[in-house]
Amino acid sequence: MNGGPVKVSGDAGKRSARLAPAVSSALWNAAVLCAALAAWQLLTLVVNSRFLPGPVAIARAFVDLAVNGDTGGRTLWEHSVASVERVLVGFGIAVMLGVPLGLLMGLYGRVYANTRVVLEPFRFIPPIAWIPLAIIFFSGMTRFAFLIFLGAFFPVFTAALIGVRRVELIHRKVALVFGASKGWILAHIVVPTVLPDILGGMRVGLGAAWLTIVAAELAGGISLGLGRMMSNYAELVQVPQVIVGMILIGALGFLMNEVLLLAEKFLFRWRWQVTL
Amino acid sequence: MTGAASLGARAAPSTSKVEVDISHRYGPLVVHEELRFSVMENEFLCVSGPSGCGKTTLLDILAGILQPSEGQVLIDGRPVDPKRDRISFVFQEPSTLPWLNVWDNVATGLRIKKVATPVMRRKVDEIIEIVGLRDYETYYPHQISGGMKQRVAIARAFAIDADLILMDEPFVSLDQPTRERMQREVLHIWEHRRRTVVFVTHNLEEAVFLGDRVVVLSSKPARIVAEIDVPLARPRNPLSHEFTHIRATCADIMHTLGVRPPRNATIPKVTS
Repeated sequence: MNGGPVKVSGDAGKRSARLAPAVSSALWNAAVLCAALAAWQLLTLVVNSRFLPGPVAIARAFVDLAVNGDTGGRTLWEHSVASVERVLVGFGIAVMLGVPLGLLMGLYGRVYANTRVVLEPFRFIPPIAWIPLAIIFFSGMTRFAFLIFLGAFFPVFTAALIGVRRVELIHRKVALVFGASKGWILAHIVVPTVLPDILGGMRVGLGAAWLTIVAAELAGGISLGLGRMMSNYAELVQVPQVIVGMILIGALGFLMNEVLLLAEKFLFRWRWQVTL
Repeated sequence: MTGAASLGARAAPSTSKVEVDISHRYGPLVVHEELRFSVMENEFLCVSGPSGCGKTTLLDILAGILQPSEGQVLIDGRPVDPKRDRISFVFQEPSTLPWLNVWDNVATGLRIKKVATPVMRRKVDEIIEIVGLRDYETYYPHQISGGMKQRVAIARAFAIDADLILMDEPFVSLDQPTRERMQREVLHIWEHRRRTVVFVTHNLEEAVFLGDRVVVLSSKPARIVAEIDVPLARPRNPLSHEFTHIRATCADIMHTLGVRPPRNATIPKVTS
């Protein structure tokens, strides 16, 4: 923050004497994580069942899966890469189609108003409900990309569609008076206005993408993927390995979300920081 | 009629830059009835009138972003075209683009007009210096005050070599001291960068303080009821005898509008 005539974050001065907020927040999160792990370990000592493994047993399973691989010799890394790849392909297609379509339909409201009877119901068919059809029609990457696309498309599309309404007439007028073309207005007025909504929609879409990938992988037909691995170990009633898969899915989703959050922070420096 | 002879130090504006001859209807509502006036090159023209007399609509028509029902606006003898002509607009409400910092906001017009980068840099730097925003170049609109935002909008308007600068009550939402400072600043900028300006305001004091000439409009349907020269040297003293006299003349004309319509006028509703 470049300290201005109008102070943006009111308590910036107060904090400089103490820890930087980012560092303090990281310390708090680390402490909470340790406390949660300790409580969990304690609980397993009390209950003592092979169906309730503690953090130590899970860490052991994690190392074993990472180094030696699963029953088929496939490592944790291979499973993760397979899942992440599918998510990125499906999610990427959803963003590439959802953003321009959302903008277009937002700008030409008529198109949306006249086609919504077909478009909107799709939004309410959960991607999981598409799995049987997807299994019949597609295989391999296409199947996963299709399912993840269905999950991630609507959050992105809807965000862009609704975001267009936020474009202020006055900003459009500024450009019009200078003689700006439609293309200029789209690139320099509409897109900057809608971008925060699109990024928000992408974060929601990413969540939906992870939800879909695991469900799709659990449905079977493949040998790689975190969902597949978990389902294999569930059949063998090996709980630690299942939990390793769960934790990894959470961690990967969290990381991707952090990347988007970082992009937001960088792209939208111009926005108010709202605090209560 | 321009009153050019009494304008003191500056060169007499001799050529007509903008020719207006329009009538405009909005549905059944007659907004402008045979509005005819011209603006001289580098003239500072103020347009005043009761609120709701279609001043903003007039500016939209002058900017070429709204087509009048009849007639046309000519700039240098050709119908106004925002793509070809260089027109700037300073709006009443805040119009800075929130995602751009001060410098980039000022550069907007030059970017749309595809001015070569080195020229653009120089022009933006110059105008930012004149309006005194040098230290705030990298600030975003939400970090600066309302008065400064309006100063950014004015700098943006003066940054392009505008054929015509339109101002729509740009200081109406500012507090009194800020408004007075901004009025002096606009004159300061205009003296550095002579342009043809049409400044709309319902505040007569402001019109007489700023303008070479004041065009007074009637309430709807708007027509010109008076064109008053302000042959006073700048900086003007609002307390001087001449100033108060001109201001009173304008006020008299404005106050009689409702009861005494101008010649040949057919004003449907007369409110007493």
